[in-house]
Amino acid sequence: MARHIAQRLMISLPVLLGVLLIGFLLLQVVPTDPATVVAGPTATQAEVAAIRHDMGLDQPVWVQFARYLSRVARLDLGRSMISNRTVVEEIGFTLWPTVELMLASLIWAVPAGISLGTIAARKRGTLVDRAIMALSVMGVSVPIFWIGLLLIQYVGGAGLLPFQGRDGPIWTLDGLHSIILPAFTLGAVFVGPVARMTRTSLLETLGADYVRTARAKGASDWRVTIRHALRNALIPIVTLVGLQIGFLLGGSVVTETMFSWPGVGRMAVGAITSSDFPLAQGAILILAVGFMTINLIVDVLYAYLDPRIARS
Amino acid sequence: MSDASLPLPADADQLAIAALRRKNAIWRRILRDPPAALATLFLVVVVAAAIFAPLIAPFDPYASNMRLRLCPPGAARCAANWLGTDQTGRDMVSRLLFGLRSTLGICILAVAIGGGFGAVIGLFAAYYRRLETPLMRLVDIMLSFPPILFGLAIAAVLGTGLTSLLIALGVTAIPSIARISRAAAQSTMQQEYMEAGRAVGLGDGALIWRYLAINCWPTILIYLTLQLGQAILLGAALSFLGLGAQPPTAELGSMAADGRKFLQIAPYVSTVPCAVIFLVVLAFNVLGDALRDALDPKLRQ
Repeated sequence: MARHIAQRLMISLPVLLGVLLIGFLLLQVVPTDPATVVAGPTATQAEVAAIRHDMGLDQPVWVQFARYLSRVARLDLGRSMISNRTVVEEIGFTLWPTVELMLASLIWAVPAGISLGTIAARKRGTLVDRAIMALSVMGVSVPIFWIGLLLIQYVGGAGLLPFQGRDGPIWTLDGLHSIILPAFTLGAVFVGPVARMTRTSLLETLGADYVRTARAKGASDWRVTIRHALRNALIPIVTLVGLQIGFLLGGSVVTETMFSWPGVGRMAVGAITSSDFPLAQGAILILAVGFMTINLIVDVLYAYLDPRIARS
Repeated sequence: MSDASLPLPADADQLAIAALRRKNAIWRRILRDPPAALATLFLVVVVAAAIFAPLIAPFDPYASNMRLRLCPPGAARCAANWLGTDQTGRDMVSRLLFGLRSTLGICILAVAIGGGFGAVIGLFAAYYRRLETPLMRLVDIMLSFPPILFGLAIAAVLGTGLTSLLIALGVTAIPSIARISRAAAQSTMQQEYMEAGRAVGLGDGALIWRYLAINCWPTILIYLTLQLGQAILLGAALSFLGLGAQPPTAELGSMAADGRKFLQIAPYVSTVPCAVIFLVVLAFNVLGDALRDALDPKLRQ
């Protein structure tokens, strides 16, 4: 097990370096010369050169990259060009709202998907099954922003629920109100895949010997499905859900932007469209690292649930 | 964002490839499946509409007419505009046709280029055994990142616009096509004619391009087509965020974003482009599912 984790970390290392290289590149494309900016408009040529030397900008690129790495290691990601706050500070503000939104989406979408998938598997081949599967294909085909637009138009427009921004942490009543629409939007694209995975996985276990044994013992149909089959079908479902959480992070970029949700995704889009390079670098870095961390955790969890993985 | 992007086990790829070799039978199966046949028909119509947009569009998609702004569909004052007009009085039907044209055009171009790179990576990984592990590891890493992150990073480095969009869509198409191409090439590598080619003294180049690639490209082409649905969804999302196509370009994603400001007074301005995106992607996914079912004998029973 420890070896498996170590192996995974070894693979992540070059990936992390690649991600950091992109972050570094982002700071290189800044159209203005940072030394000139720091020196101010009245500085002489010699002063600019001195500042450039102090900032290490006259060093070879790889030395600058090494310096960048050491700065990142010390959590120094620079300052936002627009708000003038440090990038780490900005990330601190936005990280929790994003996590909150993802959790709020998962908390309804996963149970909904598992229930729908279970019903579809139990009613296999019937109209109900076909309807649920059709719904699931539609779910993966719909642009996430359309769901958001429809909710804003009909629910938000009618004044039923807020659709602009976050009115507080999720444990306050206002916060809870304001998260409903974004969480519904983000979760909606997740229900379909979960339902489909559940159906496939459950159909496999429903054919297993122990399920027949349970039936022979006289357990009721639903009891067999839920207590015996679903429990065993759950392992692949949980891992697949874990793998898809990363893709939820992708969907949150669009959702946050639509609902003015103050999360990392919206910050990334805002920074890119306003050419705030240091902030864009920080946002992309944190999204990528967050994503890698989730993948790593899921992978290790999977190996823990199913020891065959670690051994192979 | 969808289960289509989940990595498949390698043997599933192999099974699918083997089945694809009987592709005539597969197309017959698909056309007998009503939803899949309908999806195919719809896609043919959509592609034709995109190609002939300049000929069939009733108006200039960029000609504004402020007297007709936000005229809803069916209103008497803009009876000639079947789906009404947008915020500057441009004809919705014409903009949709041209939007379809640019959305599909960008996606096809991007997936073709990215898929081309992916296909070559796959072929090389199958042909040169030493390259297999490093190349496929790289592919797995690319596959493990959400596509929208590539979009964000590329837009951040190169700036927003069509070029960035094209590159982002192309890059995200590389890994899945590389996997398919490697699987296809691996089964071709075991064919006797590969050995025969080597025996008569052909070089690596000739073996790869004239023997391996030529036998793999139909398979790769089919998967490339299926990749289009995902590319359209991603491209529309990036344009919606303002990172891809910029207004006034008629592109479905940016049209939807544009109409957002008039959601309460003229919802159709953004709803109709959204619906078009949805239907096109749905058609690609229905066709893809039918193809996967036809290809995977385990799911068929």
